Amino acid sequence: MTEELERMKTEYEPLLPVERKLIWCTFATGVVLLALFVLISRVLT
Amino acid sequence: MSTLKTPTKPDTESPSGAALAIAQTRLTEDWLAVWIGLFIFLLSLASLLGTDLLGWSITTAVWTSPSKALAPASKLYATLPWSFSLAATYVFLLAILLVAAKFLGADLKRFALGITGMFALSYACWFLGSWAYIAATPDKRPALKIPWSLSLTNESGFIIALVVGLLIGNLLPDVSRALKEAIRPELYIKTAIVILGGFLGIAALEQRQLATSVILRGVCAIIEAYLIYWPIVYFVSRRYFGFSREWAAPLASGISICGVSAAIATGSAIRARPVVPIMVSSLVVVFAVLELMVLPFAAQHYLSGQPMVAAAWMGLAVKTDGAAVASGAITDSLIRAKAAASGVVFQPGWILGVSTTVKVFIDVFIGVWAFILAWIWSSKIERRQGDQVQFVEIWQRFPKFILGYVATFLIVVAIGIAAPSLTPKIKAAMGQANVFRSIFFLMTFFAIGVMSNFRRLWQEGFAKLAAVYVLCLFGYIIWVGLLISWLFFHGVFPPIVKG
Repeated sequence: MTEELERMKTEYEPLLPVERKLIWCTFATGVVLLALFVLISRVLT
Repeated sequence: MSTLKTPTKPDTESPSGAALAIAQTRLTEDWLAVWIGLFIFLLSLASLLGTDLLGWSITTAVWTSPSKALAPASKLYATLPWSFSLAATYVFLLAILLVAAKFLGADLKRFALGITGMFALSYACWFLGSWAYIAATPDKRPALKIPWSLSLTNESGFIIALVVGLLIGNLLPDVSRALKEAIRPELYIKTAIVILGGFLGIAALEQRQLATSVILRGVCAIIEAYLIYWPIVYFVSRRYFGFSREWAAPLASGISICGVSAAIATGSAIRARPVVPIMVSSLVVVFAVLELMVLPFAAQHYLSGQPMVAAAWMGLAVKTDGAAVASGAITDSLIRAKAAASGVVFQPGWILGVSTTVKVFIDVFIGVWAFILAWIWSSKIERRQGDQVQFVEIWQRFPKFILGYVATFLIVVAIGIAAPSLTPKIKAAMGQANVFRSIFFLMTFFAIGVMSNFRRLWQEGFAKLAAVYVLCLFGYIIWVGLLISWLFFHGVFPPIVKG
């Protein structure tokens, strides 16, 4: 485990554009859906 | 990606063999939980046909005199001595769990020894937790003729079992080793959840509109958990802690979704080495215990005015099925006790029901999420020629015990709708099944305690993983979970018991 973490320090894998896209698209979808679901639940109740 | 293939006998000495063994065991435990839960559920339903098959099982009332604490569950067996009822419950559990152990390939002698020790110790904890000075709520004190009590309800036995388990797991390694073969909290909690489906079916029958509303809100809340938790935890572990993709993805799933199951599914989806989800899983279990010991009390203190928010919060914030549902059970008892002190008596089971519903929905989507990650990894991040993600993998990763939970829930609702006059009898039947649900809960708490080795946190290399966990869990997930729970569940209350 220690060796593994040491190796990660020296061999850092930078974030790929596709990873950045995955992170921000997922998060943005979550926030938009959150607003939408809250709105729907308010309307339904 | 090719379909997951597992050898029949993995080499458990190697990390990959150990991971395969865990994956196989989990799959088998899922199905065993379904069959054990359905078996107990169907035995309890026999009372609808006039045959009381589970009434001999032991129950513990809140007591001031120990001699009056234990009794059979059904009045039909009222003349049965409590010692016989207790022994019969133990033998029944031992028999069905030995069958399960046989399927799991466990050492039957060691398993029987472990179950015997677990049952004895955990039921003793339940008995102690039912002592009136610990358990009685303020409205019960006059009847019990006691001036004060801690108002923890008899479910404080769960907490005592957890503490005793922790002491054994961390301070008494010889005892822990003797019990090890029977320490299977996932099997026990999943069986309890299957039985719980019927109990919640009764609650849904009595309050159909509220039950529908809770289910819809639960679905909304868990979609948010996936989309809002996961990317931030992944980003933090990659960007600020320098973890590789192989470590960051299972870690993000373990912290943000559903602990052990999600870490293993994600590890498999992105083709991480088996040691990665194993390390993440052991971290998840340790922190789930910390959450279990803290969050229900925080919920009672700060959210007793919004019981369903507290319930959803347990489902969204506490990782692993066992700890999340256990937290729901404790929160249920603590908040109802506090409400009872101010003269409001909430119907039991609704808070636990919301925690369980949220957790179960989270589990349902693990397969879908693993499928999405597998597709992204194989086609965009680590392109591998000839790899194709197959839809069958969603089914392979689907937690099968949920089928049992849904089945017991729907059977009860269907019978109740088809023959409303049977509802009181179904309720009594579920009450008997609930005896075993409580015992499985109890064994889950005890087993979680025994298997939580806090010394692991101090092992070399674990600190960095733990740092991400602490930062993301206590700095982000708990608070976002609370916000989402508040948005979807505030203003929703369990039914109030009249009279």
